[in-house]
Amino acid sequence: MTIQATRQASGAPGHRSVTGRSGAPHRLGRNRWPYLFIAPFFVLFAIFFLYPIGFSLWLSFREWSGLGEAEFVGFDNYLRVFSDELFWNSMRNAVILFFIYVPVMIFLAIVYAAVLSEGFVRLQGMWRGLIFLPFVTNMVAAGFTFQLVFSTRNGIVNKWLSILGVSAVPWLDDQMWARITLGLLMIWAWVGYNTIIMLAGIQAIPPEIREAARVDGAGPIQRFFRVTVPLLRPVIIFSVTLSVIGTFNMFTEPFILTDGGPIRATETPVMQIFANTFESIRFGYAAALSWVFLMIIIAITLIQFRFTTRGER
Amino acid sequence: MSISRLRIVAALGAFVLVLAACNGAGDATPTTTQPSATTAASGTTAATGTTAESPTTTETAAAGSDLEGTLTIWAWEGAVQPLQTVDEAFNQEYPNITLEYQVQAPADVYQNLQLGITAGSGLPDISVIEDSHLAQFVELGALSDLTDQVGPYVDQMNAYKWEEATLDGRIYAMPWDSGPVAVFYRRDVFEASGVDPSTIQTWEDYFLAGQTISEATGVPLWQQATALNDARLFETLMWQRGAGYVDADGNVVLDQAPETQEILEFMGRIWDSGLAADSQPWTDGWYAEMNEGQVATVPGAVWMGTFLKSFIAPDTGGMWGVFPLPTWEGSARTANDGGSSLAILETSEQKDAAWAYIEFHLGRPEQQVEMYRASDIFPSLETAYDDPFFSEPDPYFDGQEVRSLFAEIVTEIPSAFVYSADYQEMNSLMQTELQKFAIGEQSAEEALANTASAIRERTGRS
Repeated sequence: MTIQATRQASGAPGHRSVTGRSGAPHRLGRNRWPYLFIAPFFVLFAIFFLYPIGFSLWLSFREWSGLGEAEFVGFDNYLRVFSDELFWNSMRNAVILFFIYVPVMIFLAIVYAAVLSEGFVRLQGMWRGLIFLPFVTNMVAAGFTFQLVFSTRNGIVNKWLSILGVSAVPWLDDQMWARITLGLLMIWAWVGYNTIIMLAGIQAIPPEIREAARVDGAGPIQRFFRVTVPLLRPVIIFSVTLSVIGTFNMFTEPFILTDGGPIRATETPVMQIFANTFESIRFGYAAALSWVFLMIIIAITLIQFRFTTRGER
Repeated sequence: MSISRLRIVAALGAFVLVLAACNGAGDATPTTTQPSATTAASGTTAATGTTAESPTTTETAAAGSDLEGTLTIWAWEGAVQPLQTVDEAFNQEYPNITLEYQVQAPADVYQNLQLGITAGSGLPDISVIEDSHLAQFVELGALSDLTDQVGPYVDQMNAYKWEEATLDGRIYAMPWDSGPVAVFYRRDVFEASGVDPSTIQTWEDYFLAGQTISEATGVPLWQQATALNDARLFETLMWQRGAGYVDADGNVVLDQAPETQEILEFMGRIWDSGLAADSQPWTDGWYAEMNEGQVATVPGAVWMGTFLKSFIAPDTGGMWGVFPLPTWEGSARTANDGGSSLAILETSEQKDAAWAYIEFHLGRPEQQVEMYRASDIFPSLETAYDDPFFSEPDPYFDGQEVRSLFAEIVTEIPSAFVYSADYQEMNSLMQTELQKFAIGEQSAEEALANTASAIRERTGRS
């Protein structure tokens, strides 16, 4: 490397006035290959991520139906959000849904993972595959299938129940039952994904610990609750955090299974944003809804982190 | 599997999750609608626009042959099929116009139109639009003004059809089909219970017939979901009485007309008397009940015939009949449900060729009849009704001359303001309150008042 290059790079004060302007491009030019190699990501990121985010923020202060001028309305859209019963109803639904299915799903995932990680289970690969399979199944097909299976009047579940002498359950016709049915679909679809996460967590637990517990006389149930679950804590927190975001973002599952019904009991926030965008064509208002929604999710996630990490300090 | 590989799987999974979260809305919608398989199969089907091979019929070719270009047409499967039946004739007259259909489910057509309008590109020349969605696109200013072109047809179409296509005296679409509503009934169920359908004149008669049928056979009178009600029948019955969500000036009147409350209370009586099958519309169970004679009547628009014949109950030919809608005091014997129009997008650069296509397909009785022959999509063009095809017996309906029955009642469809630019939102809000009424959570009056005030609040209408 020549002295001149070194001097340019270090930007000696005496040369600044001369090379200041041309120095940066020169330097970039010499090192352009790495930048070119990583550029596609940043270009795509800017086009498909930063620009839409910025545009939606801009839009949220305007009234626009997609054609013509967008009219500036200040904070009107945001003020309307606070009295929008349908939006808050959908937020409430998301909270209820979360409590209906996430605890069951996480528990099942831990149990599956614990059982699968035991040496005595044969055909491990097959079981893992079967549990994970719903995750890669097309949700639309699954949603329609659940609709068929859980149809109150014609579904096979109620036919089986009637053989057992149980009267018909209004799986999709009652507000709380519809939420439960949607929860069943969510568990079915997502338990495999969570199981894989838990399995990774369990396999990261040093076997000596469980071994020691066994030597001390702990049975399998005790080992599960006293050793495995506590040591999985960070992994469980990770899963729950993803599930919070996933529940609020839920769209395809209720859109197909219940279309938000009955009586908007399964309508999620994203469905409301979608309806405002594509059915009512209020782009500005929908953008404002999205921003309020985003802020709430960020707030919930932060609170969750605060609470769950406190114990570790 | 080692931990590191599992981590990769988990990371990939997380990545998929993020992706799913990002475009949740985007990738889910195309799927809502059934014919996506057909979309994949026949994504774009170019019609025979071959100029070299087909020698043009010289007598008709003179006028149109100088128009040329490729027209892109957005439509759903059920619409493309009848449109294409007359494309060969169209190309004989307009040999230099190539037709390219892009088949999408209705919901996708609207969403993609919306996206194209916003983006200012990617739009077709022509799109089929249901009347329920037409006013929204008219109001956006996305459609081409056809006032001058449709002039000669204004008096030839069912009068009510022009309302959704008109804004401030200008017309933006050409009517294709009307949805006159009648009652489809199972002949076997009626015979088994000894009810003569011709005695059913009023809704009261209908209710009493339902009780007789229920006592004799146990078969429900009609299918009306309670907690999953879609409010379509309620809207149809409003239309029958010339009532609607709004009035001619766009003000909300849902809660002000005594008729609307009477309609809801009538529906409530049928639920309370146990005469309704509580099944969700457009689901397999709903189809099965029609197919298996587990429901006595299906009040529905003429296009229901196509669905019955093609996929709901194809094997029940001869078991169905049709009678006009029972009346409220002094009301019409029919209503409208659905119907669609063809519109030219304002961005089209081939508006003349596009109009030639629309005029040929929808403005001429012989083509409209040809299309009606292909599918029970009922022409709005009244000059088509003189065709002998209308008085041909329809074997699916046990030889009944169903088409002339619809031709007779279609002109009775009153003007009503059920559809509007805010129809989708109004329908959605009505569903919620109607469902609460149906499961007994509130009275008919409360349901209407709540819907009306929600509509006023959300749409800013007075």
